[in-house]
Order: sequence, then C-alpha cells, then structure tokens
Amino acid sequence: MPEWRDDTEGENMQLTHLNAHGEASMVDVGDKEETRREAVASGRIVMQPETLELLVDGALPKGDVIATARIAGIQAAKRTHELIPLCHSLALSKVALEFDVDLAQSCVHVEAMCRLNGRTGVEMEALTAVSVACLTLYDMCKAVDKAMRIDAVQLEQKSGGQRGDYQRSAYASQRAGEPIVTGDSAAREVSLGDRCAAPYVRVKFLAELRERVGESEAVIALDELENCDVAGLKATLTARDSAFEALGERRTLCAINQVMANDSARITDEDEVAFFPPVTGG
Amino acid sequence: MDVHKDIRVSVQREPFSGVDDSCELGQGRTDIGAVVCFTGLVRDFNESPNVTGLTLEHYPGMTERTLENIGQEAWKRWSLKAVRIVHRVGYMAPGDGIVRVSAASAHRRDAFEACDFIMDFLKTRAPFWKKEHAKSGDYWVKERATDYADADRWQS
Repeated sequence: MPEWRDDTEGENMQLTHLNAHGEASMVDVGDKEETRREAVASGRIVMQPETLELLVDGALPKGDVIATARIAGIQAAKRTHELIPLCHSLALSKVALEFDVDLAQSCVHVEAMCRLNGRTGVEMEALTAVSVACLTLYDMCKAVDKAMRIDAVQLEQKSGGQRGDYQRSAYASQRAGEPIVTGDSAAREVSLGDRCAAPYVRVKFLAELRERVGESEAVIALDELENCDVAGLKATLTARDSAFEALGERRTLCAINQVMANDSARITDEDEVAFFPPVTGG
Repeated sequence: MDVHKDIRVSVQREPFSGVDDSCELGQGRTDIGAVVCFTGLVRDFNESPNVTGLTLEHYPGMTERTLENIGQEAWKRWSLKAVRIVHRVGYMAPGDGIVRVSAASAHRRDAFEACDFIMDFLKTRAPFWKKEHAKSGDYWVKERATDYADADRWQS
C-alpha cells in the first residue's frame, strides 16, 4: 500500500482525492464546517504586438474579445464540476475576471476570483475560469495569429478552510507594481490627456473605504466641484453616487497631497486627495 | 553637537533580518549605552478567535513621510543616538513580525521612552490598515480607543 502522507509536512499534505488503496474517490464534505472561501488564479496569453493592437482597437473579426472571454470565464467557473472529475458542484457567490493588456510584454494577463460560503475550496473554479478565458481569447484572435501561447496559469492565493490560507510569494509584489505598469492605467492616462487642459483633482479611496465605495481612484474636473475644498468634493461625489456617503462619516479621514486635511482645506489643480478610515498599523 | 540625525525608516514586504537591531546600532560606536528594540508580531487571535493571517495595506509616500516625522519628533523630545523604524506590508501569517522600532541612546530611559512614543504615534498616525483573514471570513480591523489614549499620554 503506498504511503500517501508526507510526514515532514504534517497531516495536511495527505492527498484527499485518493482512498487508502490509492483509488480516486470523491471527498465527503458533509461534515466540514462552512466557511467563506476565496481563491484567485492568474494566467496570460502571449501574442504578436500587431494582434494585441487589433484587440485593443476592437478591430478583430469576431467582435469584443475581452467581453466574450469574461463571460466564458464566468460560465466555466460555474461548470468546473462537469470538467474535473472529482470536483463538487458549487453554488459560487461571486466570480470576477480581470484582464490587463500588457503592451510591454505583448500579452493579456487574466485574473479570476471565485468566492463562496461552503465546505470546499474554490481554487479549481478560479483556475478553470482563467484557463477557459485564455482559450476564448485564443479562439477570438486565432484568425490573425496562430502562434499565440497560453502560459503561467497558476493559483495566486486562497483563503478559508481547514488547510489555511495560501499566497504565492511573488504575487503580492507583482500586484504592488501593477497600477503603474498595466495597460489599463496607461489607457486611463491617455484619456485623461484629452482634458488635461482643465484643472482636475485626483481622488484616492484606501483600504476599507475603497471596498465600500467600490472604487480605488477617480479623476474629477475642478469646475465640477460645488466648492473647491474637501467638503465640496465630498458633496459632489455623494451627489453622483450614494456609495460615496461613507465619505461624510466622522471617522473618514482625508489627506491632500499626503498631508492630513479637514473639510475646509482648499483643493487646487492636480492635487491628490485621499480618503481613508482610521489607521490600524503597528 | 548632534548635526547628523541617525534616523532610518523602511516600509517593506520582506521579513526583518536578524533577531533585533542592537548589534547593528552599536557597531563601531562607543557612545551608545542603551538600545531598546520593540518587535510587534501577528497574533492568531484578535477581533476573531481564529486569525489565519493578515494583509497590511498602506499609502505609499505618506507612510514613509509620517514615519520619518515621528522619528524626528522623538529625536526632539529625547536624547537619542539612533532611531530605526521598519514596518512590513502585504500578507503575513501568525508569528510573523509586523513592525520593529529601535531607539539607541546613552542612557536607558531615553531609549525606553522614545521607543514607546514612536509605537504609540505609529499606531495612531501612520497610514497602515490591517485586514484580518479568519475562518469566518475577512474583515478590516477597527481602530481602538486605547491606542488613542496611549498616544494622548505624550501630549503635553
């Protein structure tokens, strides 16, 4: 009888999809505690720079490539149990895919996040979503480029469950550099350029506040503000979307150009205004 | 005589090196009589009983500047020879070091108090936010009134 347990790693390293005889067996998850599970997987498809250009311009024969790949990834996550023999069918509470066009590396980065409250992990769902989104990108672009390559499909992180959390060590540092280098933010800079003549303020939402307002950054023309101060900026944003009501709470803090500021502080052209909750470091 | 203020701050993803900073700070100097080094670690219990890890977010730029200012303020208040503030960001597991503050002085009282002061101010002023991961889910850690009361001790 084979020894499946790797004692140097402890009991957690047992292969749960094999029984004592080494045969495939589905795990009975009925007795496991329900916890909130989340997994993030990533991958990429490398293509010719000309292909990527057509993709960005929306000039490929099959239409909107990214939108199609996103739907394909979401559908695939939901159907993982039909593809992978020993996977349970899961009622996912959220599936989200992100696509980053990377002109420097001539590729599209794909990232999928899956979540549920349940008894099994969702990493297979996230990996399936990434794989099928990449395959769809291939299918949508193959008329002009047959040499495309799908690679680096991998789990970035997972949380929840008995085996604890996992985080790929390079993942965090990659993410840190992203806002500066992705095609997405480059595109935003370009579109901003059109209206750069008009004075504007760059607004950041940090930590819990970012999750509550559902945005990390916004650029607003100064002439849209009711008043060119912090109170005026809060009022303008709140009028736009009720999600920004969180800005009006007493515990919400503000910094202008990285110096703490109150409601009456003036805002001028090209200022960076950040809103965030009370700090909890140390 | 103190022309050069030996204050260094670092915000980093990497774990701290070494056990503490006392060897490094004392190296090649004979004017230092005391080094106090505080290290904060990730607990496996906090707002929930089963913390499996945490992710620390910060506001790049403002964080470094704030830590630098706190070091400068400590330098004004006590007679110090060196100050080091290292704070980690990103994902950390229980048992990992989060923050390390070291103060060196000629006599122990200055180093003890400066270290205490720097931690109190860091916890209430530096733009770091902790998101804890627990079996029951992820949540943002709430600020504590006791931390503000601790920081208020130094206002006089």
